[in-house]
Amino acid sequence: MAEGLSLWLPAAVSVAGAVAGFAVWSKPAALKVLAVGVSLASLALLVASSGAAAGVSLPMLLPIAACLSLLGQPAHEDNRAAWILTLLLLGLGLSMLTAQDGMGLILSALLLIVLVALLYRYRALSVSHLWQGIGIYACGVVCLVLGLVAAPPVSAVAVLAVYAMLLPLAPVHAGYVAALAGLPGNLPAFLACLLPVLGFHGLLAVFPHLPDSARDALPWLGLVGAVYGALKALAQPRVRALLAYANLSFFSMLWWYVATMRTAPPQAVLYLAAVGLATNGLLQAWYAIRARYGDMDLRAIRGLAQPMPRFAVLFALLALAALGLPPFGVFAGFMGLLLTPGLPLSGALAVIVLVWLTASWYYLGLLQRLLFGRHRPDLRYEDLGRTEFAALLALMLILFALGLAPARVFQPGAPASPAQVAGGDAWIR
Amino acid sequence: MSGMSFMILVPLFPLAAALFIWVAGSRLRERQAWIGALPIVAACAGTVLTLLAVSTQGPVSVRFYEPGAGGLALPVGFYFDRLSAVMMTLISLVGTLIYLYSTGHMHQDRGYHWYLGLIAFTTFVLLCMVSSANLLMLFVFWQVLSWLLYLLSHNRTHQATLNGAFKTFTLLRAADMAFLMGIVMAHALYGTVEFQELFERAAAVPVVLSPLPGLEISGATAVTLLIFIGAMGKSAQLPMHIWLPGSLYAPTPVHAMLHAGIINAGGFLLNRLAPLYGLSPTTLHVVFAVGMLTAVLGASMMLVQNDIKKTLGFSTIGQMGYMIMECGLGAFALAVFHLIAHGIFKGTVFLNCGNVIHKVRQEPTFPHNTHDTEAPELSRLTWLTGMLTSLLIPLVILLLTHGVLRIPLWDTQGTVIFLFFIWVTSSQAILTLTRLRAVASWKVSVAMLSTLLFVVFTYLFAAEAFTHFLYPDPATVTRYFQAAALPGPLFDGLVVGTTLLTVLSWVYLYAQAHGRAMPLPAWVQALRVRLYVLLMNRLYIDALHDRLGRGIMRVAHGLDKHSFGGSR
Repeated sequence: MAEGLSLWLPAAVSVAGAVAGFAVWSKPAALKVLAVGVSLASLALLVASSGAAAGVSLPMLLPIAACLSLLGQPAHEDNRAAWILTLLLLGLGLSMLTAQDGMGLILSALLLIVLVALLYRYRALSVSHLWQGIGIYACGVVCLVLGLVAAPPVSAVAVLAVYAMLLPLAPVHAGYVAALAGLPGNLPAFLACLLPVLGFHGLLAVFPHLPDSARDALPWLGLVGAVYGALKALAQPRVRALLAYANLSFFSMLWWYVATMRTAPPQAVLYLAAVGLATNGLLQAWYAIRARYGDMDLRAIRGLAQPMPRFAVLFALLALAALGLPPFGVFAGFMGLLLTPGLPLSGALAVIVLVWLTASWYYLGLLQRLLFGRHRPDLRYEDLGRTEFAALLALMLILFALGLAPARVFQPGAPASPAQVAGGDAWIR
Repeated sequence: MSGMSFMILVPLFPLAAALFIWVAGSRLRERQAWIGALPIVAACAGTVLTLLAVSTQGPVSVRFYEPGAGGLALPVGFYFDRLSAVMMTLISLVGTLIYLYSTGHMHQDRGYHWYLGLIAFTTFVLLCMVSSANLLMLFVFWQVLSWLLYLLSHNRTHQATLNGAFKTFTLLRAADMAFLMGIVMAHALYGTVEFQELFERAAAVPVVLSPLPGLEISGATAVTLLIFIGAMGKSAQLPMHIWLPGSLYAPTPVHAMLHAGIINAGGFLLNRLAPLYGLSPTTLHVVFAVGMLTAVLGASMMLVQNDIKKTLGFSTIGQMGYMIMECGLGAFALAVFHLIAHGIFKGTVFLNCGNVIHKVRQEPTFPHNTHDTEAPELSRLTWLTGMLTSLLIPLVILLLTHGVLRIPLWDTQGTVIFLFFIWVTSSQAILTLTRLRAVASWKVSVAMLSTLLFVVFTYLFAAEAFTHFLYPDPATVTRYFQAAALPGPLFDGLVVGTTLLTVLSWVYLYAQAHGRAMPLPAWVQALRVRLYVLLMNRLYIDALHDRLGRGIMRVAHGLDKHSFGGSR
């Protein structure tokens, strides 16, 4: 009861903050301060309720991601809706992490409906994947209804499909790509953390109830998704689509690992958190460019290292963290996964390592195209502002800390569910 | 932590220097840059003290984690033994010299502070890498080094250097991934990434893997082969050498750092894991083959280059091949000796090369043409000197090695092959010298011969003493040599083939010099031309690499175009 309350309260604070935001709607600066304050309050409540000794848990990642994505935003009236939506989604996300069984599915449906509405509302801004995304999320709502009314194992498979939309897995990844590539303001940066966390949380709950055939298929889907995401990322000329497909590739590796090992050790949480935060940082950095020059193609801008040195250093470090270089969290999480005792030495592992290698290619390409070369003389350059710099620096430091922190700091943060799967396979958490 | 824990401060000094320089930023002037040199010099002094300490008191281990207890995400620990101390001394010495040289050489550059900070930071990373207490920490710094190579080898507004740096990083990452697979496999098979435990478990419990039906491979072989691919990347072994010539636009001191320090990482890695490599004759033979191929082709490609930096670059590739080949022969200590000698030599040459290039830019008539003063033909005395050098002296060396040094030549093929290579390379050097200095003076000939004898014997004695220093237990050295022993017919073939090749080269050169036509078949003549074209185009490996990259991008764009949600 107390554990449930500890998550419901921060969720309620976030939703209340979103409602209170309408009171200061006409003052963007005040609204921004309120939104940042509310997300910090949610984080403080989470920390206070779980205690310092409990370490870092998945729910804590959400207010951190929300707070930092809000902090980097310029106080402009165009961003107000995104800020209020961030608080609403934060509340919804924390509620989903708390809710059990039927309530959890209803909240998931609500999340998908919100996402469909957002994608439709901001369709003019979307450059691609919009209708596929809306279609996939609409199918997700149908799957959740099926999950509520059908008997196992159909219900488990239907619900798993929804979690595969959140923690993106081919072939149901289009919604995730559309959300990251099409939504305005800080929403893509926040959703890059929120959706995978919710999907991972759901996966842990539903996996033990899956039929054997579905559990056997998942590693293959993970493998195919990892390769597909990497190849798609290589071909993207637009930054947000590139990051979305890169995430598909990275999270597919997590699917492969969880489905193969049938375990989710603390390193999986570390990996999830680090990939999410690194993407959050890169999307924020790209937002800083979009806010200045519009949502341009990668081929239209270059050479930012000289006129925007602060941006260049932070962007480069975040890109290095995202591509998996030490000493950042993505590398530590990946190594932690690969060094788990009992990991089978198979061809699939070689494919995973090749996919990991491909990330060096597209992330370095992104970094090199954006930062190096001769800068365009026809543009007026302005380096990062104080809040933009602070948000990106904080993200970079968190990623650095994640790379060095002891693994025991991270907890799976999964809901209480059976630890033993019918059929005998141990489900270790 | 023991009383020797002052050693962990040694790598931190260059880090402090890098941070100082970067914080000072564009305000950094030459005087402040000299202040930044102080911690690097202190690190250099510290490494000498470390070398003395571990030589007299044995290895020192400092760990900030409990092995197997799941502490830090990255297990940070240092292991100082003779190998790491020797490497640290070399790195800090080279790092200090390059830093001091750069303060003057680069002071007009816009990125002066950034560049000096990178030099100091690279020194820090290299020091940490060679003193890592476990495979994972070594791998961490190994990867950071890949990134530093990218940073050091490009100029952000120069597209050619950017392309070269991109190629460097992606190629090194490919090699790093094989290294990663090796670590994962080592951990999966032996349950540890701690060096000593890994060696003990691998020796105690032989594991056999069956990757394909009917194919069996030992666990040690699989692990060492994968890790060797990692070493091939950093040490520019064929076919992963192409990043090195591509990075030749970088500033001259960067080359000195690269060719004297960074590129030695492969040789160090093989030495660090020598007990593991000693368990796998198959891997050692592969190492030998790759090293020999790189040495021969690297040197051959060097001969057809027309650019001073490229010539030196391919020379380094050849030398790295030589060093790796020594590891493949089981002569691990010799490889370290070689990399030290080569590092100091090549560092000096590259720093001098920068001065020469500067001078050429200022003085169009430099270098002065002095060829007219040389004799048009080689004299009889010169020929005699050359013949003595390449045919008689080797016999003397073999006899002395066998009789005086008491090296069991019949039992250790590696030593014989090593001596053969001394012979071949010194012959090559003499041939070059006689071509350049064709003077009929007995003084020159005597000086040349005595210098050669002196150098070869000093090298032999020094190498023997260094082997004893690095591997004090003679049984260990013998075990490595035995593990690396080649099949009898192959070994005999190599010895006979090398002898024939050297003798025939002399005969051919002599005949040509005296205007006599050699009765060579037409296909041999055609082969010479083809070989020349092939070597000039660097065996088309760069072209193959580019084609592979374009192929992958074509697949990616095709998939993007035809898949659900293609980019617009």
